[in-house]
Amino acid sequence: MRTAARDEGSAEAFERLYKMAAPLLLGVAARIVGRIELAEEVLHDSFTKIWQVAGTFDPLATRPVAWMVAIARNRAIDLRTSRDVSSVEAQDEGSIFDWSEGADETEDRRRNAQWLRDCLARLEAVERQALVLSYQHGLSHSELAQQLAKPLGTVKTWVRRGLANLRQCVETRMAAAR
Amino acid sequence: MKLATHAALDALCGEYLLGALRGPARRRFDRALRDEPLVASRLRHWEGLAPRYSTAIEIQPSNRVWQRLASSLELTRHRDPWYRRERFWIAVSAAMAVVLVIAFTLQVLQQRDVIDEVEIALLSGKDNAPQVSAHRSRDGRTLMLRSTRPLTAGAAKSYELWVIPAEGGDPVSLAVLASLDARLAIPVPHAGRLKPGATLAVSVEPAGGSPTGKPTGPVILAGKIG
Repeated sequence: MRTAARDEGSAEAFERLYKMAAPLLLGVAARIVGRIELAEEVLHDSFTKIWQVAGTFDPLATRPVAWMVAIARNRAIDLRTSRDVSSVEAQDEGSIFDWSEGADETEDRRRNAQWLRDCLARLEAVERQALVLSYQHGLSHSELAQQLAKPLGTVKTWVRRGLANLRQCVETRMAAAR
Repeated sequence: MKLATHAALDALCGEYLLGALRGPARRRFDRALRDEPLVASRLRHWEGLAPRYSTAIEIQPSNRVWQRLASSLELTRHRDPWYRRERFWIAVSAAMAVVLVIAFTLQVLQQRDVIDEVEIALLSGKDNAPQVSAHRSRDGRTLMLRSTRPLTAGAAKSYELWVIPAEGGDPVSLAVLASLDARLAIPVPHAGRLKPGATLAVSVEPAGGSPTGKPTGPVILAGKIG
């Protein structure tokens, strides 16, 4: 994928990469900015950056798709206005994330996904909802408070406690596996 | 304050990944990602846990996104990319390397007094490992590594450069590297550790660097700062 783009450095490889990853990146961006026109802006900017850095940057990323998704997420978060936030809809995490075990996944990756899933399931429902919604739409604490119609302080607590509990749970499993 | 030593580093990584950090807090984190290797490796550690998006969320972009990209990036210029072909670049870099070696040698021979960097350590390893010399710029901000032969970390691996303090104690990560020819900004909190008696070492780590903040893989090169 990105390796192909880097090795050949050619427009053909870049086009293949675009065809493969653009729908996913657009979906991710649309969940954050809420409007398709703005999401396409994000897509354009993200691939511009990918083209510019593919030859020289980040030989360390192990998962090119995750790397590209992170670029799109960051760009979407930067471009979004508070008006866009009000148009996002809450959705069940089951339909947003793919928990199946992909054949191309490494053992580590499969184990990580399993841990995350188990640990998310152990969180309080409000904490889980806060984390998933925030991640899905890239929401700040105050935007999340607005979405959930709850006081900012309460929402902040949910996110922080949710993250802390999630981390502790995952770290316990990591330590046990070592 | 540096984020690498921030007590809430993990929590900040979590909020950054969620997208909850905004404005100055987000920019500060982005800066730290660029300047502090430990922050970047910690973030990658947590990033590895982020769930994969389902293909159900995919949306086909309209054709005009690609058309706009193709024209703004002038992709048609790269359609017949003789100058971007791999073999061409290998030949060019080989030629440049020769030129650079010659230029560097000439510079050393002729202008020894105006070189703005000084060799501080020579790292070596077992068997046929290359030797890597470490040079520090006069202003103490930049560290350059030069390998006797090019060595690039394999797939899913990274090199990580550590300093073991002269007074002992845990190795401190200076940088995660893809290749042993590198130029890096010395992280400010660690600049003082690069002094005589300290040891520089390179270990092989999972891509993105040690997940634990301590070396986990074999140390392939080491050398004392003299």
